[in-house]
Amino acid sequence: MARFRIPLLIALGLFIAGLALTAAFTDRHYVLLSVVLLLAALLPLFIRLERRPLQSRELVLLAVLSAIAAVSRIPFAALPGVKPVSAVVILSAYVFGAEAGFVIGAVAALVSNIYFGQGPWTPWQMFAWGMTGLTAGWLRRSWLLRRRAGLLVFGFIWGFLFGWIMNIWVLLSLPDALSWRLVAVTFAASFYFDLAHALSNVFFLAVLAGGWTKVLQRFRKKYGLLQQ
Amino acid sequence: MSSGFRSMHPVVALLYYAGLLLFTLLVFHPLFLATEIAGLLALLLLQGQGRQLLRSLPFMLLMAASVALLNPLFSHRGAHILFYWLDQPITLEAVLYGLMMMTMLLTIFIWFISYNYTVTTDKFMYLFAAAAPRTALLTLMAIRFVPLFQRRLRQITLIQRLRGIDAGTGSLKKRMTDGMTLLKVLLTWSLEEALQTGDSMTARGYGSTKRSTYTIYKADLQDKLVMLLLTVSGVVTLLFWVQGYGKLEIYPRMRPADFGWQEAVMYGSFCLFVLIPAGLEGKEKWLWRSSKHSNYPSDTLKKTGTRSMSYRSS
Repeated sequence: MARFRIPLLIALGLFIAGLALTAAFTDRHYVLLSVVLLLAALLPLFIRLERRPLQSRELVLLAVLSAIAAVSRIPFAALPGVKPVSAVVILSAYVFGAEAGFVIGAVAALVSNIYFGQGPWTPWQMFAWGMTGLTAGWLRRSWLLRRRAGLLVFGFIWGFLFGWIMNIWVLLSLPDALSWRLVAVTFAASFYFDLAHALSNVFFLAVLAGGWTKVLQRFRKKYGLLQQ
Repeated sequence: MSSGFRSMHPVVALLYYAGLLLFTLLVFHPLFLATEIAGLLALLLLQGQGRQLLRSLPFMLLMAASVALLNPLFSHRGAHILFYWLDQPITLEAVLYGLMMMTMLLTIFIWFISYNYTVTTDKFMYLFAAAAPRTALLTLMAIRFVPLFQRRLRQITLIQRLRGIDAGTGSLKKRMTDGMTLLKVLLTWSLEEALQTGDSMTARGYGSTKRSTYTIYKADLQDKLVMLLLTVSGVVTLLFWVQGYGKLEIYPRMRPADFGWQEAVMYGSFCLFVLIPAGLEGKEKWLWRSSKHSNYPSDTLKKTGTRSMSYRSS
């Protein structure tokens, strides 16, 4: 049975993808297709995590940073839009790179939703925070993230991008009404939450940036973690 | 203690929920969606989750109702115009489509509540630990760290308060820097300790060979039987769906749904698929109730047929 597990999983994935395509083309029903595409986007990076050489120290480090990101969300549960997760993910990716940033973001979304409630938004949040980490890791050597102001701008932009990614699944449940006016209404409705998220990102990044990057960089150097 | 459907083998539960989600997203028919909601609600109520359901009801209704409202306002397709609102035609088709989407969202929300209760994270991880061992270990460690870090943060807060570092008092600037200090202590403490855990894992040989998995669940006869039933009824339903049955055509114009024998067979097997867990749970309840009413002549309990989680070790 174990030998057939991977081919079986692949066959199952292809089968569901086929059903999703059928539903999308014949019935204009896009929810399943969106979920399949989302998982397809997440899959390569998780396969990379499984395949790359990784010490157990590094694995534990990723778990600690994901858990800290998840814990940081709990004290602010009452304020919608204020999510320190983004700031923690950006800073971790800034020090440890794109792949680590993606994993920390995606796992933090999954784990924190155990406390906040899983729902159809969980894969979207995994995607959004994963991408936050991935882009922060890619751009960490660029002129934007080198200086403190650039880092804050980056956090501000991702506050809005996060909200816009989350808007997609709301829009997808209305395939027929999809028009620029509906898009405008949805984005206007989420504007204040996105703004709160963006501003809180700037705030947390400003407060945390100096101290945290120093601590994380020291650990990276001391233990030789994720040097690539 | 878990009993009834919760005590089934994780594969059975996962098969049920995966199939159910697939049908929710594929079968666009009010009767099927209503049956699904009824099946899930029956299961949740039998499991005593009514309060949990009630708590999330306002949010669910708000989300779903907004979808039902937005669709007719922005979609003007359809042949039957009900009335004009701000010079825009509101069509019967758009209203119905919005209601269908509302039902679908409600089903998904209820599905998640039931899924979270039955397929707990450890069961999910148990199933996927073999396919993705690192991701599973990483996620499980992170889940375990969350309550640990909360405890640690409380300890740190208590100790640092003696030094006058307190995020609860003082000016805003002081509170911010103090909160920072507390978090930084948590970060260094946890990292330092976690890296030692990592070293100890290496010392014990983590990653030296392929990771084996410990199987804690054992599939018994009932598990296998239910799995077979679910597979057969699910495949039958899916086959009919591929043939094009069980689809309500709303756009471009509303067509009255005809309910032939094909639909009847499809609906029958769908009902079987949806209602199996609720049936199992109900059977359990009924056996428990009836066992309380019968009096035992001796102290030894008769075997009643209620089941609990079967472990390999016990």
